[in-house]
Amino acid sequence: MKLLRRASVRYLLKHPGQLALSVVGVALGVAVVVAMELAIQSSREAFRVSTETVAGRATHAVTASVGGVNDDLLVRLRVDWGVRPAAPVVEGVASSPAYPGRALRVLGVDPFSEGPFRPYLAGGETGVDVSTLLTVPGGVVLSAGNAREAGLTPGDTLQIQVDGRVWRLPVVGVLDPADRLARVGLRDLLVLDVASAQEVLGQVGTLTRIDLRLPEGGEGDRALARLRERLPEDVRVEATGTRTAALAGMIRAFDLNLTALSLLALVFGMFLIYNAMTFSVVQRRELLGGMRALGVTRREVLAGILREAVWIGAAGSAAGLVVGAALGRGLVSMVTRTINDLYFVVSVEGLALPPGVLVKGGLLGVGATVLAAFPPALEAAGVSPRVAQLRSAVEAGARRAVPRAAAAGAVLFAAGAGLLALPVGRPGAALTVSFAALFLVILGMALMVPLGTVALVTAARPALARGGGILGTMAARGVVTALSRTAPAVASLVVAVSVTVGLGIMIQSFRGTLVRWLDGTLQADVYVSLPSVQASRAAGTLDPRVVDALTGYPGLAGWSSYRGVELADDVGPFRLVALELDPRGEGSFDFREGGGDAAFRAFRQQGAVIVSEPFAYRRGVHVGDTVTVPTDLGPGRFPVAGVFYDYATDQGVVMMARATYARGFRDEGVTSLGLFLPPGADAGEAVTALTARLTGDQAVVIRTNAALRQGSLEVFDRTFQVTAVLRLLAFVVAFVGVLSALMALELERGRELGVLRANGLTPGQVWRLVTTQTGVMGAVAGVLAVPVGLVLAWVMIYVVNKRSFGWTLEMEVGAGVLVQAVLLALVGAVLAGLYPAWRMSRTSPAAALRGE
Amino acid sequence: MGAIGVRAATVPLRGAGPRLRAVLALTFLGLAAACQDGPRLPDARLSLEETLSGADTVGYARALAPRPFLFPADHGPHPDFRNEWWYVTGNVQADDGREVGFQFTLFRSSLAPEPREGASAWGTNQAYMAHLAVTDARGGRFHAFERFARGAAGLAGARAEPFRVWLEDWSLEGERRGPAPGPSGSVGRDPAGGNRGDLGRSATDVFPLRLRAGEGAVSLDLTLSEGKPMVLQGNAGLSQKGPEAGNASYYYAFTRMPTAGTVVLGGDTLTVTGSAWLDREWSTSALSEGQVGWDWFALQLDHGWELMVYALRMEDGSAHPLSDGVLVGPDGGKTDLVWGRDFTVTPTGTWRSPVDGSAYPSGWRIEIPGREMELEVTPTLPGQELDLAFRYWEGSVRVTGRDGDRPVAGRGYVELTGYAGRRPER
Repeated sequence: MKLLRRASVRYLLKHPGQLALSVVGVALGVAVVVAMELAIQSSREAFRVSTETVAGRATHAVTASVGGVNDDLLVRLRVDWGVRPAAPVVEGVASSPAYPGRALRVLGVDPFSEGPFRPYLAGGETGVDVSTLLTVPGGVVLSAGNAREAGLTPGDTLQIQVDGRVWRLPVVGVLDPADRLARVGLRDLLVLDVASAQEVLGQVGTLTRIDLRLPEGGEGDRALARLRERLPEDVRVEATGTRTAALAGMIRAFDLNLTALSLLALVFGMFLIYNAMTFSVVQRRELLGGMRALGVTRREVLAGILREAVWIGAAGSAAGLVVGAALGRGLVSMVTRTINDLYFVVSVEGLALPPGVLVKGGLLGVGATVLAAFPPALEAAGVSPRVAQLRSAVEAGARRAVPRAAAAGAVLFAAGAGLLALPVGRPGAALTVSFAALFLVILGMALMVPLGTVALVTAARPALARGGGILGTMAARGVVTALSRTAPAVASLVVAVSVTVGLGIMIQSFRGTLVRWLDGTLQADVYVSLPSVQASRAAGTLDPRVVDALTGYPGLAGWSSYRGVELADDVGPFRLVALELDPRGEGSFDFREGGGDAAFRAFRQQGAVIVSEPFAYRRGVHVGDTVTVPTDLGPGRFPVAGVFYDYATDQGVVMMARATYARGFRDEGVTSLGLFLPPGADAGEAVTALTARLTGDQAVVIRTNAALRQGSLEVFDRTFQVTAVLRLLAFVVAFVGVLSALMALELERGRELGVLRANGLTPGQVWRLVTTQTGVMGAVAGVLAVPVGLVLAWVMIYVVNKRSFGWTLEMEVGAGVLVQAVLLALVGAVLAGLYPAWRMSRTSPAAALRGE
Repeated sequence: MGAIGVRAATVPLRGAGPRLRAVLALTFLGLAAACQDGPRLPDARLSLEETLSGADTVGYARALAPRPFLFPADHGPHPDFRNEWWYVTGNVQADDGREVGFQFTLFRSSLAPEPREGASAWGTNQAYMAHLAVTDARGGRFHAFERFARGAAGLAGARAEPFRVWLEDWSLEGERRGPAPGPSGSVGRDPAGGNRGDLGRSATDVFPLRLRAGEGAVSLDLTLSEGKPMVLQGNAGLSQKGPEAGNASYYYAFTRMPTAGTVVLGGDTLTVTGSAWLDREWSTSALSEGQVGWDWFALQLDHGWELMVYALRMEDGSAHPLSDGVLVGPDGGKTDLVWGRDFTVTPTGTWRSPVDGSAYPSGWRIEIPGREMELEVTPTLPGQELDLAFRYWEGSVRVTGRDGDRPVAGRGYVELTGYAGRRPER
């Protein structure tokens, strides 16, 4: 036993490069998974903590469909109905030059009501001076962190912007709760008195919600039932957890996609490890055979190899955790930015390092290594002392295994495909199944790689022979005859490269679809909206004077107005849009279902709505169905006249004519405008002229069609930064994989090359032989990676994206991505051959032959 | 009469208790600046200088000289003054003899001298606090509750006509329907001349009053009817609390109001009758240096007389020279009493608070030698401490004794501030 261990250690020490590459393989896989997990968890944790901090100990919230609940309702609750405790809350989003690029949450509260909900806002040692907060108009309380960051102390002024209006708020306090969690949750939170918040946010007379604390159990249920009977039609009361869960649910698909992609990285890592372990076992066959002859049992050999795997896995995981934590720091800001752009405001303060993630990463690394080492270990243990000497026996076995592996692969592939084809219930639940199926498909294809390799090399042999003569033939044959070593190397290469192909095609397709969609959608010449920190959605309310000034511009041919409000139904949040549509704007909709003149007639005159594809997908809605939208008069039912493509938000959009909206909602606000110019007019000049018409204090953004299009694409690119980074990581892993596998392979062939050298092969010919051989393998991997990558892309686009976000993308295969993939494999492979070639060409044949 | 300023000055901030409440209470009084930093010792207390520092009174009206009282306006709020309260105490009895004491107080405080400007209906410089306490003599239980709210958006407030002061669903309001009688209403019934202002209508036009307040299983719904005429305390309603000009309040009282209604205690709904006492007081600052607390007695005797006496207690336990009292006759005529000269108050027992062992006097002998009046005052229950943001003892008491040769009995209320948090004497 001791002997075996010493032999194992000596072997690994004698091959430090191989050892290092194995460790690097594990480390990279673990690092990517851990980094992504940390980034996702940090953003989720930040969201949870900030939501809980703001929700405090409220059990329920009273909300209204649009525009918040009336002030009077709180008085009715507390004075007339005796519902206590009940706290008014006014919420909104602001930006400030003191915190560039960040969305600040404005929280308006009544400190006297806060004791049972958010004790840290009720005054006291946390730093809220209730008197000043109440009596100083606009008085703001900052978190200690924010105050420090901007160098603000009570008495200073904080400038903020809300809906294009600038406010200078006197800082009246700094919140420094002793509780660490509360501190984290207070980041980028501006606390105002409810009166100030209403004034600053332009919500005088309404509350965003009323927080309640109802008792648990039957008493609470009765109180809730009584309350529901009394509340007006448009007012709802729901459990706080439900609300938070609905918000958190918005990013579930987004999170799951990132997690699954990061797991792919671990899969390449496993291939690398499998590769490395196979090598180290194959190389030691003679040694192991000798030991077996000396009485070492199979069980001991198996245990020995697995022990090695544990050590390599542990070392790699440790390194991976360190790298992952560092990488996570970079990823978290990208993830957060995307969530802010697309979903809701969240502010992450640093990276959370939950021990759970680290333990999981470590176990995943070690587990994957051991798992990957199992087949080679079994093989090593299975070697009988006599046959061990015979290399040919192994290769013969390997060749016999090729069809079996391919058949198994085909079965796995079919299983995966079958899973994908299964009818899905709820889209969210199907996502996990989709990714599991995707892994099966990849694994299946990987198992078919050896067969493909043999076929390709056999097919290419004549060409190689013509081009490289005997050396070419030898290189090609070498790949096939050493299949036990080349097959895993090529397979891992294929997987790694195909992922870069798949992700590349997906991003390209998405961007292409978006560009075409934007070109179709952005039909107006000039767009007007309020400055917003949240990129993807227009928000806030344009000053009616601004609307009048701009729509009164004589140089206009027409205009559309847009009012967007956030609503929610049982499925989740969605956006309701009221459109006052200029006929010129009708062409901006590309309908998946319905549409046409009849649809627009129904839309304009019969109170019909059109819904976005994600909305329709998630709710199973089609043309002719009706959708239920909560209005000020209670739930309203609207017929669906069309389903249009929409890539702006995966939450879903319902659009109705402004006239329809006016019947259901007491809201005359306009969120943004689309202005049409007469043919031939210069949009740039129009923007200048329109800007000159503005006189009020509200800052608005007036952009040309081109500028808005550009802006939208920038948001898109930012959104896909994370995916692009993952793709890059896959690329790096692939490259390291090629390098390690092929280098080990060639180094192992030292003796064989020695024989060739002794038989008269010149050093130059050794160079050619080695690099040709690695090149052939690289080329084979590159070529095989293309179809695998395409399958991957297809699944990601038509299954995963559809199920995650509900939208249909058009698959777009650019030659660039494919060429890049083949080149990646080829260049990596040739580079991998350089060092062994250099070493072999320098070694004297005698030395190489002396062998062990 | 228990001045809110006194309470703020003397009620300790308990670090162990919910800090929020203590601080809320203080900010309620515009004293937040005094308690912004540092952890508090269990017996930490604000000094009187802090309470009465000049900065706090700048911009507010002061009680500098006697003024004419004007009704119904003076039943309503006086936001130019920093503090104000509507203070009702009383003792009632159910048909089966069950005795219930109650205290209902609505405190108003201006957080800044000027009204807050702005469009929101929530904007205000007015804050309200309410205390409700009920003593269940037979059950041996004492219940106390408090509430806070801003004086805006309809949550809490006070108005003169129709008279209503409220904090959420706790309220005291005038029940009289239709237009109130004109100025001639009840003029001339009060020999002291305090029953009406020089202008306007009679103070008693506000009756009957309806008091409604409850929390959990305890609630009151009482009607307070016109009884004795209004009494102007101190010098024609100017009650000097400290030697400095302005350290005074405007103060009037209704010392006996026949009371009837229902009291809910636990599962029992009691139909009750009895009598109540209303104190109305407003001021900007009241206390002077060295004053730590307040012993206040409001006693209704069964031969138609009421006695109100108070001692402003100094650090060393002695009474400040400005401590005084008043004796109200059956016809409403009042006799002023000076502490030490006209009457003496001697504690006869001690009660320790279960909260922290603070020692309160419990049981007194009050003597008015000039009338040969001797009264024994006994708490209905020993433990009637309101363990709220401000901790103080206020409770129902029973009275026995004599007035000259005549044996008398009675009921009343006693308020003790400035004891909580003081270390028990060694």
